[in-house]
Amino acid sequence: MTIAIIERVFPVNPEGLLPAVNADNQRYWDGLARGELNVQACDGCGRKRYPIVPVCPYCAGTTWSWTTLSGKGKVYSWVRYQRGYLPEFEDLMPYIVILAQMDEGVRMFGRLIDKLGVSTPLKIDTPVETLIERWPGGRCVPAFKLASAK
Amino acid sequence: MNPLMNPKGAVAIVGAGSPGLFRTSEDSAITLAHKAVSLALADAGLDRKKIDGLIIQIGSPRGQDYDLAASMLGLNTRFNSQTWSHGRFGATVVTQAAMALTWGLADYVLVFAAYNNSQFGRHGSKGRPSFAESLREGGGPHAESPHSGLTAPVAGAGLAAQRYFHKFGIDPAKLAEVPIAFRNHAMLNPEAVMQKPLTREDYFASRYIVEPLRLFDCSVPVDGSVALILTTAERARDCAKAPVYLLGAQGIHAGPNEFIFGQPGLGVNQAEEFDWQPPADQLVYRMAGVTPKDIDAFYTYDAFSPNVLWGLERFGFCKPGEGADFVQNGRIGPGGELPVNTNGGFLSCGHFNSWYEMLEMTRQLRGECGKRQVKDAEVMQWGTPVGDAVIFGKNPA
Repeated sequence: MTIAIIERVFPVNPEGLLPAVNADNQRYWDGLARGELNVQACDGCGRKRYPIVPVCPYCAGTTWSWTTLSGKGKVYSWVRYQRGYLPEFEDLMPYIVILAQMDEGVRMFGRLIDKLGVSTPLKIDTPVETLIERWPGGRCVPAFKLASAK
Repeated sequence: MNPLMNPKGAVAIVGAGSPGLFRTSEDSAITLAHKAVSLALADAGLDRKKIDGLIIQIGSPRGQDYDLAASMLGLNTRFNSQTWSHGRFGATVVTQAAMALTWGLADYVLVFAAYNNSQFGRHGSKGRPSFAESLREGGGPHAESPHSGLTAPVAGAGLAAQRYFHKFGIDPAKLAEVPIAFRNHAMLNPEAVMQKPLTREDYFASRYIVEPLRLFDCSVPVDGSVALILTTAERARDCAKAPVYLLGAQGIHAGPNEFIFGQPGLGVNQAEEFDWQPPADQLVYRMAGVTPKDIDAFYTYDAFSPNVLWGLERFGFCKPGEGADFVQNGRIGPGGELPVNTNGGFLSCGHFNSWYEMLEMTRQLRGECGKRQVKDAEVMQWGTPVGDAVIFGKNPA
């Protein structure tokens, strides 16, 4: 089950917004480019975790396996930017960023691509699905859409 | 008394000074530092040569680092330290000064924060030197994730507030009471940068910055400086003014259950979600031999107004989820049952990372606060949503 990838068009060339790819997290970033959301699952306690780290935050276990998430989750919390900070996001104002509770356990941040009214509240627990944005230069990042929206 | 066995009252603030806080200042960070340090030395009646310890909270590029600061201010110091350039280390720095003094690493420790913010970009924008921290492995210090469009500390606070309102069924409108109470305090403090009355109408007419937080839920960035001088209780008796004793302390907490905004159990960012109650016997109270009921005024890190609710809940002034009700009807305002941030706080006096609140507690416990003086003030506390705290007293025991 792969996640749809869409091209992200920017009003200005995005610079300096992406975290570095390293030996720890390469599998996560490479997965996104293939439409997969890969995170670690601790071999000791079984808990999935994100971000990618060498030690389990919950049991301090140091071995893990990679697991692929369904991309489905729910809104755990959200904010709406009414003032802009980043020129790369200026054309999207006002935009919503959610903290998603993924069905398999981890939480992830991502922009909600659906355009809601400027004062339309987003209900916590609203189902969402991951989609992946491909940025200029090829890096891919997760974002979310409302599960009811096609 | 062996201070290593019982630190309560072993160390005191003997000097405190600030040239004030400013929306913008022409002064360099080191000139701002110089002004605060000179005022603190005069306040303590101490010669500069006595200072042999230095701890700086905000270093370069916003402020100056310990090495150049010492030489530029004519100090010869044998104990020096400096924290990460974030505001959250106020109590930690004061505690470090106390540790240096009780271990004999220094006899008089100068602590200061001095910075010129206004020359840098807006917090959360790429022009800000700290923007690089947003790209830390695992995310920024306030959960920044720039590729998600998530930037600026206000967003982390907003995410925590939104979840908090949902979890406890709180009407966000109740938040208005916090900035209004602090503006009422500020109007009694001539050094506070915000002096105009703030009404409920003003609050609700203000725009959202990052919803659910409005303009008046966000602190006022300032330039400025504050310096404190701490020494042992024995030496304190020879200084110019009545010592303000450090009675207890507690460190900033970290780990999988801690996020800079919200309280444990709220589950924002990757923190665990669970029903949390503050421990009944927190170290800071045990050490000081007091309970929240004994605190005459409380001071907290009100970078954003919900922090005040989380701070009050963290230390058991009210139960988790009850902070918004607790602050209603002027309870935390001037003359209230528990005045909070009597200087006006970050929201109305200016965002100075706890230092203006440390200065305010010193002045309050000396009885120097004029119209805003808390009557018969004897014990005051600084405490933040992430657990760090200090308690000061007029008396050492």
